[in-house]
Amino acid sequence: MLFSSITFLYYFLPIVLFLHCVVPKWLKNGVLLLSSLVFYAWGGPKYLLLIGTSILLGYFFGLLVEKYAYKKRAKLCITVYCVVVLGFLAYFKYADFFIANINGLMGTDLPLLKIVLPLGISFYTFHMLSYVVDIYRGDVKAQRNLVDFATYIMLFPQLVAGPIVRYVDVAKELTSRSITADEVFLGARRFLFGLAKKVLIANMLGELCDAFLVSQAKSVLFYWLYAVAFTMQIYFDFSGYSDMALGLGRMFGFHLLENFNYPYTSRSITEFWRRWHISLSSWFRDYVYIPLGGNRVKKQRWLFNLAVVWMLTGLWHGAAWNFVLWGALFAVLLMAEKFWLAGVLEKLPRLATHFYVMFFVVLSFVLFNASGLKAAAVDIGAMFGMGGLPFANAETLYYLQSYALLLAAAIVGCTPLCKTAVSHCCEKTIGARLLRVAEPTVLVVLLVTVTAYLVDGSFNPFLYFRF
Amino acid sequence: MNLKAKCIPALLLVGALWLILAVWCWVRPSQETSLSERRKLAQLPDFTADAVLSASFMSEFETYTLDQFPFRDSFRAVKAATSLYVLGKKDNGGIYLSDGYAVKLEYPLNVSSVTSAMGKFEALYGTYMEGKNLKIYLSVVPDKGYFLSQKNGYPAMDYARLFSLMQHNLPFAEYIDISGCLQVTDYYKTDIHWRQEQITDVAQQLLKGMRVGEIDYENYTVVSANTPFYGVYYGQSGLPLKSETIRYLTSETLEACTVYNAETQQVGGIYDLERLNGRDPYEMFLSGACPVLIITNPNAAGRELVVFRDSFASSLIPLLLEKYAKITLVDTRYINSHLIGDYVTFENQDVLFLYSATVLNNSRSLK
Repeated sequence: MLFSSITFLYYFLPIVLFLHCVVPKWLKNGVLLLSSLVFYAWGGPKYLLLIGTSILLGYFFGLLVEKYAYKKRAKLCITVYCVVVLGFLAYFKYADFFIANINGLMGTDLPLLKIVLPLGISFYTFHMLSYVVDIYRGDVKAQRNLVDFATYIMLFPQLVAGPIVRYVDVAKELTSRSITADEVFLGARRFLFGLAKKVLIANMLGELCDAFLVSQAKSVLFYWLYAVAFTMQIYFDFSGYSDMALGLGRMFGFHLLENFNYPYTSRSITEFWRRWHISLSSWFRDYVYIPLGGNRVKKQRWLFNLAVVWMLTGLWHGAAWNFVLWGALFAVLLMAEKFWLAGVLEKLPRLATHFYVMFFVVLSFVLFNASGLKAAAVDIGAMFGMGGLPFANAETLYYLQSYALLLAAAIVGCTPLCKTAVSHCCEKTIGARLLRVAEPTVLVVLLVTVTAYLVDGSFNPFLYFRF
Repeated sequence: MNLKAKCIPALLLVGALWLILAVWCWVRPSQETSLSERRKLAQLPDFTADAVLSASFMSEFETYTLDQFPFRDSFRAVKAATSLYVLGKKDNGGIYLSDGYAVKLEYPLNVSSVTSAMGKFEALYGTYMEGKNLKIYLSVVPDKGYFLSQKNGYPAMDYARLFSLMQHNLPFAEYIDISGCLQVTDYYKTDIHWRQEQITDVAQQLLKGMRVGEIDYENYTVVSANTPFYGVYYGQSGLPLKSETIRYLTSETLEACTVYNAETQQVGGIYDLERLNGRDPYEMFLSGACPVLIITNPNAAGRELVVFRDSFASSLIPLLLEKYAKITLVDTRYINSHLIGDYVTFENQDVLFLYSATVLNNSRSLK
């Protein structure tokens, strides 16, 4: 089920909120678990068995690892567990990628399995890995209540597209949480802003990207327009989803960690990755990079660690070489920054550093969204005039005019300008009074407008559902 | 400011609106059809184990919730207005407003579709007309975009190429250019079609091209229908456009004509005024979409015409009737081409292929 759907907004959510509100405390997780099962099964109940098995494995291995803490068996348990859950992920997400590459390398003709990617598998696999590893490290105690553990994994606000929530961050709230009017309001407001980001900006820019992809009259400018539009779309899509997840979590008494922090305002790629998909980059840092030795090793090993982490980050996003190359591009940029570019960037004017970051980010997302390496090369080549295309044409100018305001709003929206303006406003009495009236009005207008777009709209895919 | 003081009124306001809409969704009786969108609305799907396991229940339920949402038309209008006037988009769902006309973006020229249509026309010629003493004509009706797109900065189909393709690739037919007889005011503002009272010069051009002489339309009376007309783009655009008036021409000749509908096997008149109150009032012209219609004019002698056509012909053909004793209209979107021989002899008849640019550019429906 999509958050940005009439079914979720006007059927599912009211019922779940009502039930969660009226049942006694000991039943609240049961309500959340049951509703999460419905939420997950809505797209097709086919993979309920898989996620159910994964949950049971995570639950029992968590208990085993805790039981054998500080013993060799714990290491064996965690190794077996990692092999099993990563095996699931490899089979369901990467099997065809491996087969296609084997066929390509060996000249064999092994048939592809054509497995439909189970919804949210990349996210819940990482949830469970972090849970068992944290128990192994002694950072957290195993959850003995299966319902509570299943609720943690299946909690519908973060189930299918993150953020990647670590058990340690919600362990307390799983057993004891309070829900106040303030929390519900703040959660609802966050949800509504996220919904507006997704429906009013990301979906609309998605239409522009689709128009570009089917266009028979492309131009250099159209390629750039598409590149910028997709860069904005993916940010508003994913950060909008994260806002909705955080907002919903708060409405149900959970405080999930921030996943985005205005990444397009970064002045280096290093900073960009501290602000973009924070839960994923910190997961790789804590569960891959640091265990590999991090930066406290020889230079060559450090470079190797960085390369491994960023290739895996790329591969996590999709089973295709363009995702691996996407990760490799960031690995190279991060290495460059760590060894010599950081000093240069510090001396450069602010505008130049923003340009540097956005230039590579925009290019990286063209690579990311391409259907393969060849298509990516064509797209990026065309952006630099290598496709023999005209600089602009009537169709490009039409789409540029048609989406100029939306793109401008998106560019402003991915900076903290609005937030800063509201904060300044709150500092003055008159501003605070104005906001008191303006805020509910804005929220009502957003609810009506988003509903209108959902009622009329057909373009509504979440980009991160495919991961 | 105290957070509670701030949040309680906002929460109440937003929450109340949200809850009212949610409750309305649940208790509102399902509607059968949408008049503005001219379509049947999805109904609550049956909740069965098979439907749930195959996930068809879920996808049908999603469609149901969209179709049956309270104030659907108003919400669609809000969306259209926000897109066009707040976000500055130049079209909403492929419909744009220009000089007061709602126009569909018909872009780009789909050469493969046009080629496919020409292939189907050639097949019809090969099956029924080749080697016979027939005069075959061809004409293309431009859509409103022909007059408004380029002028107002919208992407425009390559009309010159479309006309040229049609003119030069069907050598068995003589091309009659009617584009010079038309201007945008000849079309309805909210609909795809042209206005019958405005296209007498188009009819004259076709009659001239087919060498059957002119008709004096001074003897015809223009009648205005009482029912307000909201065209197909009214519903598609979602915008609160003004209603229009359908006007039709009538004369003693037209009133004497009979129309035989081969599908229903019923005989009626040129204009079906009951359709003015139906889903699409434009269907009053020759009763809308029909596979084969045979119009008989008792006041004319001898000459017969066969028209392969789309809906534009419905309002135009009555203007040609005075010169023909019999006109057979064939809409190959609704009849397989191998059945046409059951209704048309193709002996001593004129043949006219009359298709709109829109249908040629999206010709998959042609059989």
